[in-house]
Amino acid sequence: MEDNKEPSGPSSPGSKSAGGFGLFGSAGPQYSKTELAGVPLTGMSPLSPYLNVDPRYLLQDTDEFILPTGANKTRGRFELAFFTIGGCCITGAVFGAVNGLRMGLSETRNMAWSKPRNVQILNMVTRQGATWANTLGSLALLYSAFGVIIEKARGAEDELNTIAAGTLTGVLYKSPGGLRGAARGGLVGLTLSGLYALYNNWDRLKGSSPTRY
Amino acid sequence: MEEYAREPCPWRIVDDCGGAFTMGAIGGGIFQAVKGFRNSPSGMNHRMRGSLTAIRTRAPQLGGSFAVWGGLFSMIDCGLVKVRGKEDPWNSITSGAMTGAILAARNGPVAMVGSAAMGGILLALIEGAGILLTRFASAQFPTGPQFAEEPSPMPASSFGDYRQFQ
Repeated sequence: MEDNKEPSGPSSPGSKSAGGFGLFGSAGPQYSKTELAGVPLTGMSPLSPYLNVDPRYLLQDTDEFILPTGANKTRGRFELAFFTIGGCCITGAVFGAVNGLRMGLSETRNMAWSKPRNVQILNMVTRQGATWANTLGSLALLYSAFGVIIEKARGAEDELNTIAAGTLTGVLYKSPGGLRGAARGGLVGLTLSGLYALYNNWDRLKGSSPTRY
Repeated sequence: MEEYAREPCPWRIVDDCGGAFTMGAIGGGIFQAVKGFRNSPSGMNHRMRGSLTAIRTRAPQLGGSFAVWGGLFSMIDCGLVKVRGKEDPWNSITSGAMTGAILAARNGPVAMVGSAAMGGILLALIEGAGILLTRFASAQFPTGPQFAEEPSPMPASSFGDYRQFQ
């Protein structure tokens, strides 16, 4: 009788087991671990529906964004145009300023630090900065204009637009140099825009999925 | 009317710089085309060549000056927005004045004041036109729901006495 009492003592608080060993006793053959956790799982699978989601529900759907009427998912060429042109202007200005500083310093190497030297260096900086900004800005303007025209004419947006716009920009920019100059400019434009298109689509061409959206 | 989508402040500077360059280059291009055409020797070949040369040399320069004006204006505007913490027409007017002053800095203080006044007045006109346009555009739509004057059932105690005295 004493042997019977000991195991059944601690089983009184929580366990609903009919006879046999209790909660703190060793598991008997008729009780699984899940039942001993205190939750009656008769008729339910041991997988929790909250922790084990069907992977089909986890799709990254591209249609998950709601767009206002008339808007498209990515920005068109015309909206990106001002940003491109402004960015090229500012880049050209910075590059030209640095170049002007280098040239000014090297040309006035033999002068002492005086006001004329500073003025000359400043003049070089501003002139080079302005020239490079204007050049890069007008190239960006031509490229954007061609891009918008080609996109409107074709009706589709593609990497072909980029490459064609770059080539045409090179041709037009170097056209004062005659036919050979135009051909050379077109080749440079083709190379640069081809590299840019390649850089944009590198992941897609390699077969892996892009990590940025 | 479409939604007016401007970039947030740091990128607005690049956008405005590009927009100003485009305006200056295209406007300057047209202007210089006509000017180059007229200032060339007679003969269509000469005139076309002169026109193209003028466009090629002068249009980027005009675009560049516009770009400097636009970029500097936008930079000061964004700085004022950040310092003041609000966006209103006064930011634009002050930015225009300061841009004019900075760009005339090499010509001495009197020229700076004059340029600042010109820039401020120009921006005040532009902002005023913008505000008037907004008011006209909103006045075109019918007014909001009218609240009809309904005689509310008020208690007849002391309020009724007022009417007798009128």
